[in-house]
Amino acid sequence: MKKKEIKKTFLKGLGLLGFLVLVCGLAFLLSGWAQYLFVEDVEHDVQASVKEEEAPKNLEEAVRAAVDFDHELDSYKPLKNDYKFYFTYKTVHPWWDAVALGMEDAQRQFLNKGINITYEYMAPTSASAEDQVRRLKEAEKAGYDVIGVDVADEDVISPVLDEMVDSGTKVITFSSSDAASGCKRIAYVGNTHNYEDGVDLTEALCEKLGYKGKVAILVGSKGAPCHEDRALGAKHTIAKYEGMQIVAVEYDMDSVDNAHELALKILDETPDLAGFVCCNMSNPVGAARAVTEKSSGAVIVGMDHDREALHYLEKGVIYCLGVQDCYSIGFDTLQLAVKIADGNLPGELFPEEKAEPTTIIYQNDAPLMLELLYGDIS
Amino acid sequence: MKSRITNKTFVLTAAIGSFMIMVTVIANTIWASRQTVTGTNEAVSAVSSFYLEAMADRRAKIITNLINNNFNQMQKVIDFIKEEGIEDQEALRRELGRMKSLLSLNRLALVDEDDIVYTQYSTYTGGSRHEFLADKKMKDRVISTVSVYGSSRQLCLAIPLKGLTLMGKPFKACFVQIDIDDIVDLLALDDEGRTHFALYSSTGGNLSDTELGPDILKNNIFEATRIAIPKSIWEGMQRDFVNGVDGTLTLKFDETEETLCYVPIPGTGWQMAILIRGSVIHDRIQAISESNLSFSRYQITFTLVALFVFGAILLWQLKVISATKLEAEKETSRAFLSMANTDSLTGIRNKHAFTEMENALNDRIRSGELKELAVVVCDINGLKHVNDTLGHAAGDKLIKDGSDLLCEHFKNGSVFRIGGDEFVVLLVGKGYETREESMRDLNRQVEANISTDEVVISIGCSTLEPGDEQLHDAFTRADQLMYDRKKELKSMGAKTRES
Repeated sequence: MKKKEIKKTFLKGLGLLGFLVLVCGLAFLLSGWAQYLFVEDVEHDVQASVKEEEAPKNLEEAVRAAVDFDHELDSYKPLKNDYKFYFTYKTVHPWWDAVALGMEDAQRQFLNKGINITYEYMAPTSASAEDQVRRLKEAEKAGYDVIGVDVADEDVISPVLDEMVDSGTKVITFSSSDAASGCKRIAYVGNTHNYEDGVDLTEALCEKLGYKGKVAILVGSKGAPCHEDRALGAKHTIAKYEGMQIVAVEYDMDSVDNAHELALKILDETPDLAGFVCCNMSNPVGAARAVTEKSSGAVIVGMDHDREALHYLEKGVIYCLGVQDCYSIGFDTLQLAVKIADGNLPGELFPEEKAEPTTIIYQNDAPLMLELLYGDIS
Repeated sequence: MKSRITNKTFVLTAAIGSFMIMVTVIANTIWASRQTVTGTNEAVSAVSSFYLEAMADRRAKIITNLINNNFNQMQKVIDFIKEEGIEDQEALRRELGRMKSLLSLNRLALVDEDDIVYTQYSTYTGGSRHEFLADKKMKDRVISTVSVYGSSRQLCLAIPLKGLTLMGKPFKACFVQIDIDDIVDLLALDDEGRTHFALYSSTGGNLSDTELGPDILKNNIFEATRIAIPKSIWEGMQRDFVNGVDGTLTLKFDETEETLCYVPIPGTGWQMAILIRGSVIHDRIQAISESNLSFSRYQITFTLVALFVFGAILLWQLKVISATKLEAEKETSRAFLSMANTDSLTGIRNKHAFTEMENALNDRIRSGELKELAVVVCDINGLKHVNDTLGHAAGDKLIKDGSDLLCEHFKNGSVFRIGGDEFVVLLVGKGYETREESMRDLNRQVEANISTDEVVISIGCSTLEPGDEQLHDAFTRADQLMYDRKKELKSMGAKTRES
C-alpha cells in the first residue's frame, strides 16, 4: 500500500516537472520570437549603413564592423625577406595616424613570418601638392620597392605618378584619394566611394531638414579628390530638392581652426543656416564648435572618427558621421605593397581598386564608437 | 574536638575541585572564543583597509619602478647613440632595434626637430599622433597616457634631448610606449579572485580593462559608485582622483559591502584601485575563528575525557593504595595480635589470648547464648624437678611435649598456656561432644608415659552448669579436679615438684 502511494506521488511530481519544462520551453520560444521581432524593428530604425559589404545583422554589429581591427595576412608568400616602402599622404592629421596603425599591425605580422619591412610614412604639416611632388621625386631616387601616395591633388600628382611608373618605379595610391582616372599607378586601396559618401550624408541631412533650408558645404583641401568628390556628391544631392539652397562652399585645408573660423563666418552671414555638410575630418569639429558657440540650430553631417566630433555626435550637436575603416586601409595597403614589390599586377591576386567601407553612424552609435576607438578615458 | 579527614571527604573535595576547575577552564575558553569573534568582526574593516592599502601601494610601486627603469634605459640608449656617430637612417634603425632588444624596451623611438619619429621599422611624421610633441621644445620628462585608435591604451614616457644631432638634424626627444595590458600582467593578483584591481584615469575611466569586482566591472568608477556611497564621499573621491590623493571607502551595493582603496601612481595621473568584498576577509577570518573555536571545542572535549580518565585512574589507584594499606595494616595488626596472643615457646595461644577469649565467652554465657562449654585445666607434672635437675632446656622441651600432647588429643578444642606448666583447653561444639573420649585417650597416654619417663599431664574437666555466670566458675571446678588427678597420678608413680 505504501509503495503504491510513493509511486503515485513520484508520478505526480514527474508530471508536474514535465509541465514546468513545457511552460518554460514555451516561454523561451516566445521570448526568442519577441526578441527577433524587436531586433528586426531596431534594424529598420537605425540608419547605420555600410557600402561595399553585406549589411550587418544589427545596429551594434554595424557599428563594430565600421572599423575592423582583427586582420590576418592572406596566404600570399613574399618572394623576398626585406622590403623598403615609402608612403606619403596629404597632411599630418589623426586620420592618417589611424591608417598608420593598420600598417604597423601588418608590418608586425610580416615580421613574425620572418619578413622584415621598413617604411617611411611622411606628410607635410599642411596639405600641399607641390610638397607631395617633391617628396615623390626624392623617394623615387632613394630606390624604394614601392611608393604609395594619398593623392593631394589629382591634377598635379597624377602626371607625376605616370612619369614615375614609366621610369620603372612601382607606385600605388592609398587611403582616401586615388589618382585621376587613367593614371598609370598600379593599384589603389581605400575609399572608392567618396562621391557616394557625400550623397549619403547629404541625403541624411536633407531628410532631417524636411528637404528645405540653407546649407553650407565645408571641404578639406582644394583639389584633394576625396574631399572634392564628397562635395560634389553633396552639391548634386542638394540640387535635387527645390526647397534647399547652398549658401557657401569653403575649404579649411584640413585644419580644425580654419573650419571653426569658416563656420562662424558662415553662421554670421547666414543666421538662418539650416545645415552643414562637412567633407573631411576637421570640418565637422570646427562646425560643431561654431554651432555650439552660436547656439545655432544648424544640423551637421560630416566625415570621420575624430574623438571630439564623436563627442559632439553623442551630444546631438552633430547629426551623423561617415566613419571610414582607416585601420583596414593601412593594413591592406602594406599587404598590397609587398605583392606589388614582388612584381605582381592586379588580377587574381588583388584587384586594381580595393574598396574599404564607410559606415554612417548616428547619436545612439556614438558611445560604442567612442569605446571602440578611444576607450573610456576621455 | 578534632575533625578527621576521611577518604570520602578527600575524594569529594578532589571531585568538586576538579569540576570547578573544569567549569572555569571551559567557561574561559568559551568567553575567549566569543571575545575573539567579536574582536575579529571589529578588526575586519580595519584589516581590510590595511590589507588593501598595502596591496595598492605595492602595485603602485611596481608601476613607478617600471617607469623609472624605462627612463633609465632611455638615458642609456641616448648615451650609447651619442657615442655611435650614426650617419644614416638605416644605421639608426639598426641601433634602435639593438637597444630595444637589449634593454627589453617596448616601442622605442627618437624624434627630430621636425617631429619626424624614427623607430626600428618605420619613420613617420608624428606631430598629430603624439601629444607630447605639441610643444616645439620639450622642457622636461613627460609621462602621458595614450589612447590609441582601436581603444588600446599605452603609457608614453618621453625625455627631452639636448645636443643630440644625427644625420645632420637635431633631435628633440626619445620616447617609449608601454601597453597597459603588459603593465596589467605585471600587477596580476594571485589570490583566487578574492581581490580586484583596476587602473583609472583622473576622470574615472578604466585604463586597465580589468573588472573591479562584480558591481563596478569595467565601468567608469565614478558612474558605477554613485549609488554605493553618500554624495559627499563620492565627490571627495572625485577630488582625490583629480588631485592624486589616496583614500579608502566602503561601498554598499544592495546588501553587499565592498572595501575600495585607491592610491595615486606618481607622475601618471593614474589611480590604482583595489577592491575586496567585505565578506571575503570577514569570511576568511571567521573561518579561522571557527577553526579555532572548533579546536577549542575539541580541546574542551579532550580535557573532559582526559579529566574523566585521569580521575578514574586516580580513584582506582587511590582505591588500590587504600586497599593495600588497609591490608598491610590488617596484617600488621594481625601480627601484633598474634604476637600478643601466642606463646612463644609452644606456639599455642597464651594467657592474654585466654583472658580475651574468657571475656568474650563470659558475655555469651551471661546472655545464655553459650550453654555447652567444657573447660579442661591441665598441669605438667614434675616440671620444676626437670628444670632443676636437667636444666631449663629440658624443662622447655617438657612444656613443648605437653603442649603437643594436648593439641594432639584436643584437636577440636582451643589450647592455651596460661602459666609455666599450666594449660587450659576450651571445648565447644564437636570438642565438647567428644571431650570424654579425648580425656580418656589423653589420660591413658599420660599413664603410659609415667613408665617411659615422658611428659605427664594432670587434667581436670568441668562443664558449664546451671547457675554459672562466668567461665571461671567451671574453671574453678576443673582446677579442683585437676589437683585430684595430680594426686592420683602421683600415686601411680608420676614425678612431682619434688621428685
